[in-house]
Amino acid sequence: MKVQHFLGGIENLGPVDVEKRVFVEPWEAQLFAVHTTMMGTGIWAWPDLRVLAESMNPLDYFKYRYYIKWLGGMSKFLISRNYISEKELDTKTSYYLENPDAPQPDTGNGDITDRVIEYFYTGANPYRDVAVNPIFKVGDTVRVKDMPPAVHTRLPGYLRNKIGIVETVYKGAYLYADNVPTDGICTPQPVYLVKFKTRDIWEDIPDKGDVLYNDCFEVYLEAI
Amino acid sequence: MSGDHDHDHDHHHHLRESESYYAARTKALESLFREKGLIGTDTVDRVINFFEHEMGPFNGAKVVAKAWTDPAFKARLLADANMAIAELGMRDGIEGENLKVVENKPGTHNVVCCTLCSCWPWPLLGLPPYWFKDPVFRARIVREPRGVLSDFGVTLPEDHKIEIWDSSAQVRYFVIPERPAGTEGWSEEKLAALVSTEAMQGLGLATA
Repeated sequence: MKVQHFLGGIENLGPVDVEKRVFVEPWEAQLFAVHTTMMGTGIWAWPDLRVLAESMNPLDYFKYRYYIKWLGGMSKFLISRNYISEKELDTKTSYYLENPDAPQPDTGNGDITDRVIEYFYTGANPYRDVAVNPIFKVGDTVRVKDMPPAVHTRLPGYLRNKIGIVETVYKGAYLYADNVPTDGICTPQPVYLVKFKTRDIWEDIPDKGDVLYNDCFEVYLEAI
Repeated sequence: MSGDHDHDHDHHHHLRESESYYAARTKALESLFREKGLIGTDTVDRVINFFEHEMGPFNGAKVVAKAWTDPAFKARLLADANMAIAELGMRDGIEGENLKVVENKPGTHNVVCCTLCSCWPWPLLGLPPYWFKDPVFRARIVREPRGVLSDFGVTLPEDHKIEIWDSSAQVRYFVIPERPAGTEGWSEEKLAALVSTEAMQGLGLATA
């Protein structure tokens, strides 16, 4: 099992870092822009990044800042897919470490910029207009299955074996990913908004009447 | 293994964890992309500029101000957020193809999180701030939302119920905060200035 799949509900972690900035170092914005270029040109997609984040040492996952983890994941991915070599990345890194103000190459593909900006508006809708016959209907009581461990999941660990009520049956079908190994969400399927009482998830918390909503892929649910 | 070797190893490790190393490595990545024709020389600047001026929390604040002043618009927004924001000339897009808006009311407070990663409604809020991506926030918000709200300086009335939205599939959630008292007759522009990014995910309140 991976701690990254089971974050929700971990106790004794201390205060939240209420940092309201998106980027805390200039290189983070630059890295983010390279990442969106990879997304917009089809080099990779979110699930590739998630698989790398979820395969990290869980203690490192807590230790390193968000974009430090991205930097490691992006480098690893680009090297493994032969977009760049480790040697050229190390060589260039050393060069810029010694010459931080040295200019970047004045070459590039000018057509890519508009493609990336347009991608922000077209997005990558996971909706699939295929005929489906949802197993559950609004008001049904469902149990979240205890799915086998997977490389990648969209099932929050704390909901396993918990019971909720179907609040919404979304129209059509959704595909999470078809390029990475998952626990059953590589085919388009119905998704349900399921409502849980938080006291049904954690019996030891004070009863304040709070509820929690989660969108569950059909493969994660069973009738009771 | 000699002591010198250990020292070298520590030194190397230390270098690889410095901000200057991360900056150099990122610059190296972009430079290699440029050399290989995988990026334009202006792409990074255009992307950063896009999230500063086109897709950011100012969009969400405009939507909230409109919802506060136009009940018919608010009803349409709650029913179909993607259709409603198009009325305002706003485009949806990445991480917002399927938006859902929920409303804070007396007695009910909504908070949004993504315990598995960092799902966030980009067309309305731009990019997620650090707190949203903090594993500690993601771990605690679902089990102890009041404790987390208190880290943000927010205390809810004792009888308020909390509705938590943990994004994990296609939908990206957005919260209309309660309109502050004493703002009757304010312009939408003036109202929009009261709405923080945090308030639009339920980790803050709008105050006048």
